Amino acid sequence: MLLKNTQTQYGIVAKSIHWFMALLIIGMLILGLYMADLPISEEKLQLYGIHKEFGLLILMLVIFRITWRIGNIVPLLPSTIPTWQKFAAHAVHWMLYGFMFALPITGWLMTSAAGLPPSFFGLFTLPSILSPNPVWLKLLENIHSWLAYGLIATFGAHVGAALKHHFINKDDVLRRML
Amino acid sequence: MKLLAGLGLTLLLLPAVTFAVSSWKIVPASSHITFTATQNGAPVTGEFQSFMGEIQGEPTDLKDSHVKIAVDINSVKTSDGDVASTLKTTDWFDSTDFSQAVFTADKFTQTGKNTYTATGTLTMRGETRPVILSFVLNDYSDKSFDVTGKTTLKRTAFGVGQGDWSKTDAIKDDVLVEFTLKASKA
Repeated sequence: MLLKNTQTQYGIVAKSIHWFMALLIIGMLILGLYMADLPISEEKLQLYGIHKEFGLLILMLVIFRITWRIGNIVPLLPSTIPTWQKFAAHAVHWMLYGFMFALPITGWLMTSAAGLPPSFFGLFTLPSILSPNPVWLKLLENIHSWLAYGLIATFGAHVGAALKHHFINKDDVLRRML
Repeated sequence: MKLLAGLGLTLLLLPAVTFAVSSWKIVPASSHITFTATQNGAPVTGEFQSFMGEIQGEPTDLKDSHVKIAVDINSVKTSDGDVASTLKTTDWFDSTDFSQAVFTADKFTQTGKNTYTATGTLTMRGETRPVILSFVLNDYSDKSFDVTGKTTLKRTAFGVGQGDWSKTDAIKDDVLVEFTLKASKA
C-alpha cells in the first residue's frame, strides 16, 4: 500500500483521511441536527462544546487534506464514463471541499458572534474572529444550517454515485478508495 | 460641674467623631462589575450593569470604613442574549425572587503599598457567605478615588445553578468577579 496516490488507486493517506473525515462529518451532522432543537440544558451546552471542538478539528483536517490533494495526482476516472458524469463527479468533490471549509468557518463566526469561544479539547481557547453581535449570530445560524442541508444533499449524490458505480456499473471507482 | 459638662459634651460628640470618615458616591459611568465563568473549558463573560453602594471610609481610617454594594441581578448582560435570559431563571439567579445581591464589608486590611483586602459577606439567591475581595487603590484624593479588584466565588455555594446545572463539568464552580469602582465625595 502506497502513501501517495497513483493513477489507479488512492494512497493510504488520502484513504485514511477520507474515511476518518466521513465518520466525523456524519457524526457532526447528526449531532448538529439533534442538539439545535434541544431546550437549554446542561446536556445541550456540553453537546455544543463537543460540536465546536470537532468542527475545529475538521477545519484543521481539511486544510491538511486539500494540501495533500494539491500535492498528489488524483486517480483517473474510468474512460468509459461520459464527460458530463466526470464533470459532475469533480463538481461534487469540490462542493464537498467547499462545505468542509464553510461549515467550520461559519461555526467559528457563530461562536464568536455569540461571545462563547470554545476550548479545543482543553488545549487552547479559540480566538474570536467577530465581535459579539446578536443580529449576525441569527444570520450565521441560518447560513450554517442551510450549508448543512446543502452538504447532506451533496453527500447523498456522492454516496449514490459511488454505490451506482460499484453495484450497477461494476467498475473500480469505489474500490480505489477502499 | 464644669468638668462634668465637658465630659457630657465629649460623650455627645463621640458618635460624630466615630463617623467622621468620608462618605462617597459611586460614579456609575466609570464603575463596572464583570464576571468570568468557565463553560466547556473556555471563558464566558458578563456584566451587571446596575448597582448601588454606600461607601464610608478612607485609607487612613480603615477600621471605621464600611462598604455596602447592592447589585441589581436583572441588569445582567452577556454577549449572547440566551445566556443572560437563562441566568435570570429560577435554575440560576432566580432574579424574580432574589432581585439583589448584596455585599457588605467592614473589615479592611492593607496588604501592600496601595493594595487592600475587604472581608465581608455576600448575600445572593438567599444564601449568605463570607467573601474576601482584594483590590488596588489606583487613585485617591480628597475628592475622588478609584479601585479595581476581584474575588473568586463558588457559584454552587449560593445555589446559582440548580438541578443538572449544579454539576460542575460543563460549567465550573469557580466564577471570577472583577470590579472597577470610581467614587466621588458625597
